[in-house]
Amino acid sequence: MSGTTAEPAARFEVPPRPRTWPRRALIVSALAAFTVATCLPAIGGVEIDLGAIARNWRHGAANLSALLQPNWAFFPRTVQPMLETLQMAFVGAAIAAALSVPLTLWAARPTNPNILTRSAVRAVVNVFRAVPDLVWATILVAMVGVGALPGLLALVLFNVGIVVKLVSEAIDSAEHPYLEAARAGGATQHQINRTLALPQNLPLFLNQWLYALELNVRISAILGIVGAGGIGRLLDERFGFFAYGDVSVIILEILVVVLVIEAASNILRRRLA
Amino acid sequence: MTLDTRAEAGAAPASAWPIRLDGVSVTYPNGTAALRDVSLTIDAGEMVSVVGLSGSGKSTLIRAVNGLVPVTSGTVTVGPYTVSGLSGRRLRQVRGHIGMIFQGFNLATRIDVYRNTLVGRFAQAGALRGLLGVPTAHDREVALSALHTVGMLDKVWTRAGSLSGGQQQRVAIARALSQEPSIMLADEPVASLDPPTAHAVMSELERINTERYLTVLVNLHLMDLARQYTRRMIGLRAGEVVYDGPAAEATEADFEQIYGRRIRPQDRLGDRT
Repeated sequence: MSGTTAEPAARFEVPPRPRTWPRRALIVSALAAFTVATCLPAIGGVEIDLGAIARNWRHGAANLSALLQPNWAFFPRTVQPMLETLQMAFVGAAIAAALSVPLTLWAARPTNPNILTRSAVRAVVNVFRAVPDLVWATILVAMVGVGALPGLLALVLFNVGIVVKLVSEAIDSAEHPYLEAARAGGATQHQINRTLALPQNLPLFLNQWLYALELNVRISAILGIVGAGGIGRLLDERFGFFAYGDVSVIILEILVVVLVIEAASNILRRRLA
Repeated sequence: MTLDTRAEAGAAPASAWPIRLDGVSVTYPNGTAALRDVSLTIDAGEMVSVVGLSGSGKSTLIRAVNGLVPVTSGTVTVGPYTVSGLSGRRLRQVRGHIGMIFQGFNLATRIDVYRNTLVGRFAQAGALRGLLGVPTAHDREVALSALHTVGMLDKVWTRAGSLSGGQQQRVAIARALSQEPSIMLADEPVASLDPPTAHAVMSELERINTERYLTVLVNLHLMDLARQYTRRMIGLRAGEVVYDGPAAEATEADFEQIYGRRIRPQDRLGDRT
């Protein structure tokens, strides 16, 4: 029985297996050396004091046990800021969605053949996206003052950056045969974009709009730390008072809200696909 | 359907235009010479096939007629207009008089048949209606009557992507007809269809030619379709006209000269079923 299966294999002339392990070993050891080097303060690496964990463990354990005892009585006070956070997230995503439609169509090649305006829109949008959300929030708090408004503006800028980049790249990489037909029929680019390209690519937009909303709920929860309104401001305040029981309630609440929004968005996206 | 109901439905018979190419050469930016010094005249109301293998320049020839491909030298004239050298609004205006259908149907698949057909009315839209994308009552009537002509009126609210290939090509024909064109261009209109559907679509083009009195220029690579549906045939090989004469009398030797090789079974579609 074994003879029948083994026999043909013996006749194969298997070429010698290439020796790859020296190269692999070299790469792994180089990575390891680099990692170690970044942790040596003597040669300019970051100073990581692992001993701090051991020295402060009692402190850490006390805080941790405090966090594990949520002060449920605090919950009613979190409702209003949490609603403000959700409002910022939804309104920010909605405004960004509206702004993203023309910007995306101007930033994609099939819907804007003019290289000058296309590059200009892309450059501006890349700046929106490259600046981290918390940095936007910090700058905007300095510009328009503390509250929900700078948070909202930061979210809009960040969302526009993400949606325009992702959707315009998806439009760039897709086939658009209807464009040639419409051009052959004497249509203007605006007519094509308005009546064909936008409805044809709407699922791409919806997908990224939902993704932006998910990101917003997560981001807006911490925007308050830099003074941009919402639950984050309360979190920062309770932390300042060392009220870990209250902090614990806030963290749990953020966790639940984020999970619920993500689940809802996932269901919606599956419906769209 | 009788001519009376057609007139009632608002499809006014258009006047056919002649097509004239004078010493037309097209060289693509990558250096490929797709057309070399092609001169030919197609009379108003003729139905002419352009036969050649892929790469022979027949797609370029048909796209030079409506300016989708700019000519490198020579002049292209359709009806009262010189297409070569036109751009912008003037070019769109001329294109409005030239309907075109494609091998891949080129419909916006996520959009319903109705809105796909209305694309044929874009060239006629005024500035404000073009901006807003609102069709006039006359536009709707012309589009619906075109759908009626090709027998697709019952699918008017169906998404184009959910139709079969033959149905999609009929909608594409309706889109071109709703331009109320003077010339109909067809670039390999049946190459993606099965034989019975291919014959149905070719018959449709034949009917458009006789009943609407349109000049029809159709690219084909199958010899029997050219013989069966067109009176005059232009053979292209490596960007040059190697045959121009009656399609029915073209001999096997003529086709072998056009193809530059012996006749193979796949050069025929097979008889009408």
